[in-house]
Amino acid sequence: MSPEASDFLYPFIERGESDAGSLLVDLAESAQGKWEQSARLRVDTLAALAPQLAAAGSAMAERFAAGGQLFAFGNGGSSTDADAFARLCTRPPWGEPVPARSLAFDQAVLTAIANDVGFEIVFSRQLIAYGRPGDIAIGFSTSGNSDNLMAAFGEATRRGMLTVGLAGYDGGRMGASDDVAHCLTVRSDSVHRIQEAQAAVAHALWDALQTQLRQKGAA
Amino acid sequence: MTVLPETAPASGPGDSGADAIAGLTSDLARASLALARRFFAGGTMWCASPAWPFHSHHVAVEFVHPVIMGKRALPAVAVPADEDLVATLRTTARTGDMVVAVAGADDAAVAAAMRRGDAWGVETVWIGAGPRPAPGAAKHVLWLPTDDPLQASEQFVRMYHLLWELTHVCFEHQGLLSADDCLDDVCITCSDEGRPAEVLSIDGDEAVVRTAEGRERIDTSIIDTPRPGDLLLVHAGSAITNLDAA
Repeated sequence: MSPEASDFLYPFIERGESDAGSLLVDLAESAQGKWEQSARLRVDTLAALAPQLAAAGSAMAERFAAGGQLFAFGNGGSSTDADAFARLCTRPPWGEPVPARSLAFDQAVLTAIANDVGFEIVFSRQLIAYGRPGDIAIGFSTSGNSDNLMAAFGEATRRGMLTVGLAGYDGGRMGASDDVAHCLTVRSDSVHRIQEAQAAVAHALWDALQTQLRQKGAA
Repeated sequence: MTVLPETAPASGPGDSGADAIAGLTSDLARASLALARRFFAGGTMWCASPAWPFHSHHVAVEFVHPVIMGKRALPAVAVPADEDLVATLRTTARTGDMVVAVAGADDAAVAAAMRRGDAWGVETVWIGAGPRPAPGAAKHVLWLPTDDPLQASEQFVRMYHLLWELTHVCFEHQGLLSADDCLDDVCITCSDEGRPAEVLSIDGDEAVVRTAEGRERIDTSIIDTPRPGDLLLVHAGSAITNLDAA
């Protein structure tokens, strides 16, 4: 920005204003760049995961068609992704509602288990209580390494549940584990960008599920 | 990949929403600086999303427990979706606080809370998509053009992640955080026209009201008797206008 001709009259005031102004310009440019970065990662991720999304959606549809229900879980921001996915299943904007719950939702259950035993079993303990063979366990993690998710996937697999994981970075422990039958990994090393792409992956997974449910319904 | 049902809006995985931010970045920047200033002065951020509670919890946890190590924990609270939003905020939000909502323009509870922002002395940020709320519905209206509820939801996450990131960038410019200059063309708190106030209770020709300065007892004799919840303009200890008069 070129300095105004009157700058010399009010040097202090003008400098103060232009400083805030230049910060705002920097912030806006940063926002633009990160938004575009996020948009590109979304497109690339959905393209790369297309076969896995179709396979996971199909496997989930089989479980739902046979009377299964879904349990979603995650920590922190990922727990809100789990809430969002469970809500999308039960109260979809279109398509068929399917039974689902978020295991991060009940504070009494969460704090009881965490206080009496430890936070690493807050989800697996609930799967012992609620989970049945034929149900679905879906876990959200940006690192792919959360102890309580790994414990939950192990428990779900032992109980004959279908396991689906959303991970980031290189997939972490979830990507390498036999306990996660379908691991959908967002290849990025930014937690925020991973979480943003995971929101899109979750929606695409739900779309794939709905497509399969429709085809089964028509068959 | 052709997985969208016929009933879905005509958009798909290829539609990244890359253009959605165009024209919005300067609003986002101003909102972030305003939030940073409020946090810097000790304010608390109240997060509301009555229709999508997971968004309010996501915003709050983002600020309280940042994913990036070393970033300061800032006070942000999700207002439980089953609470009366206006009643909760009227009681708990203090002057200098912030209210950030993620909601559609048709969310009556959010609209009612946002329009009380000046009377409560709180900074208001309304994030949404689709049909816009009325101009001036909140101090900062960050609105996305998409009508697809799933794409909107994805873009809300991007939006509040950026709000968090930019707020922390502002913290690196502490000389600008205590600045008292108004970022807006019209600043109600700097004007002498009349301060907004919300009626808490009526007592004859007087009323107890909530203003940006706190609770005040004012004279209401020159207007028709207001009702609790009405928004008034107060000048020199007297109500001069009832903005909610029939």
